[in-house]
Amino acid sequence: MKKHRKITPGGVIEVLLTTVTVILFIFPLYLAVLTAFKSKPEMSKSVLSLPQGLYLDNFKEGMKRSDFFHSLRNSLLVTFPSVALIVLCASMSGYAIARHAHKTVALRILDKTYLASLMIPFQILMIPVYRIYKSLNLLNSLPGMTLMLTGTSIAYASFLYVGFVKSIPKEIEESAYMDGCSEMKTFWLITFPLLKPVSATVAALHVMWLWNDFNISIILLQKEAVRTITVKQFYFFGQYTAEYGLAFAAAIVSMIPVVICFAFMQKYIVNGIAAGAVKS
Amino acid sequence: MKKKMTKYLFVLPGFCFFAFAMLIPFVMGINIAFTDWNGVETQFQYVGLKNFMDIFRDARIRKPFWNTLEFALIGTVVSNVVSLYLAMLINGKFSKLNHVSRTVFFIPVCFSSVLTAFLWKFLYREFISELFGVRNLLGDPKWVIPAIVVIGVWNGAGINMLIYLSGLKNIPLELYEAAKADGANVIQQFVKVTLPLLMPAFSVCVTLTLTSWLKEFATTLSATGGGPGGASKTVSIYVYENLYKYYKAGYGQAVSLLFSICLIVIGLCVSSFFRKREVEL
Repeated sequence: MKKHRKITPGGVIEVLLTTVTVILFIFPLYLAVLTAFKSKPEMSKSVLSLPQGLYLDNFKEGMKRSDFFHSLRNSLLVTFPSVALIVLCASMSGYAIARHAHKTVALRILDKTYLASLMIPFQILMIPVYRIYKSLNLLNSLPGMTLMLTGTSIAYASFLYVGFVKSIPKEIEESAYMDGCSEMKTFWLITFPLLKPVSATVAALHVMWLWNDFNISIILLQKEAVRTITVKQFYFFGQYTAEYGLAFAAAIVSMIPVVICFAFMQKYIVNGIAAGAVKS
Repeated sequence: MKKKMTKYLFVLPGFCFFAFAMLIPFVMGINIAFTDWNGVETQFQYVGLKNFMDIFRDARIRKPFWNTLEFALIGTVVSNVVSLYLAMLINGKFSKLNHVSRTVFFIPVCFSSVLTAFLWKFLYREFISELFGVRNLLGDPKWVIPAIVVIGVWNGAGINMLIYLSGLKNIPLELYEAAKADGANVIQQFVKVTLPLLMPAFSVCVTLTLTSWLKEFATTLSATGGGPGGASKTVSIYVYENLYKYYKAGYGQAVSLLFSICLIVIGLCVSSFFRKREVEL
């Protein structure tokens, strides 16, 4: 059937428009990759010219000078513990709110507080957070950063869980109570495994967002030794505006972890955003 | 009794994190807004409403204020037009092509605003200026804001595209067939069927983009640092500068408190404006 599809003017326009837009979107990335493989003299000739060979020195130098592995370690140490904490805490909160909020005032208030907190811009927290962290000696500390990343993500993550828990029938849990299981045990043994799809979405979205976080890390991570990739780049790019090849090589290396993560979790990210849109 | 407490045990760990990172700083922030704290020393004094009065006398805040409005206006319009356009492209008849282009349009979302800003700085400086024979748009006070909007849209359009896409997929095909039977052309179908039925998606996307452009911080700070000559400095950057550059944390907090109230009010107004225009199927 499909092979004999008629070529209509509408179809041609559609394919043409899509192709042009795709090229426009991908072009900046193409240029970045191109530049990363060029030596300095090649660079000065023309922006668009293809590199003569695979010039890998940029990658070596770029990774060395941006201290890539050190900041990669910092990013990993901050992102993954936060995401784990977010999934654990938010799934529990989401469950309790979904199951008990209709008859518990305190949980209803909590639910509304979480929703309201989503509207607050980070700028209002910037100065007090700096003050709290300064007095607690938590500035320039990776665990301190983890606390902040987790705390600012709990509200949205719980919100995503609430909707999903409501769609799971209660009967399964109730039969577990009959067998003498406590509510806590039932949650971890029965309900939590059923929440896998939404946990995947929450994890995928937060890996992406926390990895790229700039607002919080620029305030809390001022010292060289604790900078994550994103903060590191902010300062690194400032210094190497003339040596594009070097800077882009460093940039491309830093893209790799996110792109790998995206390749594996695209399905969950896409589903999650679509589902969130339906609810809010 | 034990069973009664369990439900609180469930929310407790999450709430502790939330309280530490958001609730306590929020309450403390209200307090700081009434002081002359400079951000460095431990000592400070209460100055009453002085910080709030100063906002209206402050000549330095005027430029960031107008810039923020310009960002919000241009950014919201461009973001939504582009996202809807992308969503319509990937909602087409060719599933293979749609799938590939959906991935391509979404990839920039994975990159941090710092990385994106750097990439585009290079494009503006070395490529676009050469191609069109103009000077670097990021260095031109007149064009810097639209130029940054382009960067932000490339970086973020993917998210709104997915929201619009799920809206488009929810429109029953019969409605288009009925419209076609009544002799409506493509543009009439778009205006009379697509747009009204997309209202829920509009209310989410417009609220999201408007509030996020009003908060514009990271992309601009990395792309221009607020320059040239403050031409792209936003209120958020100004708050940040009050902490790190001018050492007027108390005043900065007052600005951000007033600013947040405006943001929440605008957010609520915009979403209720669109909510009222949503059509029931």
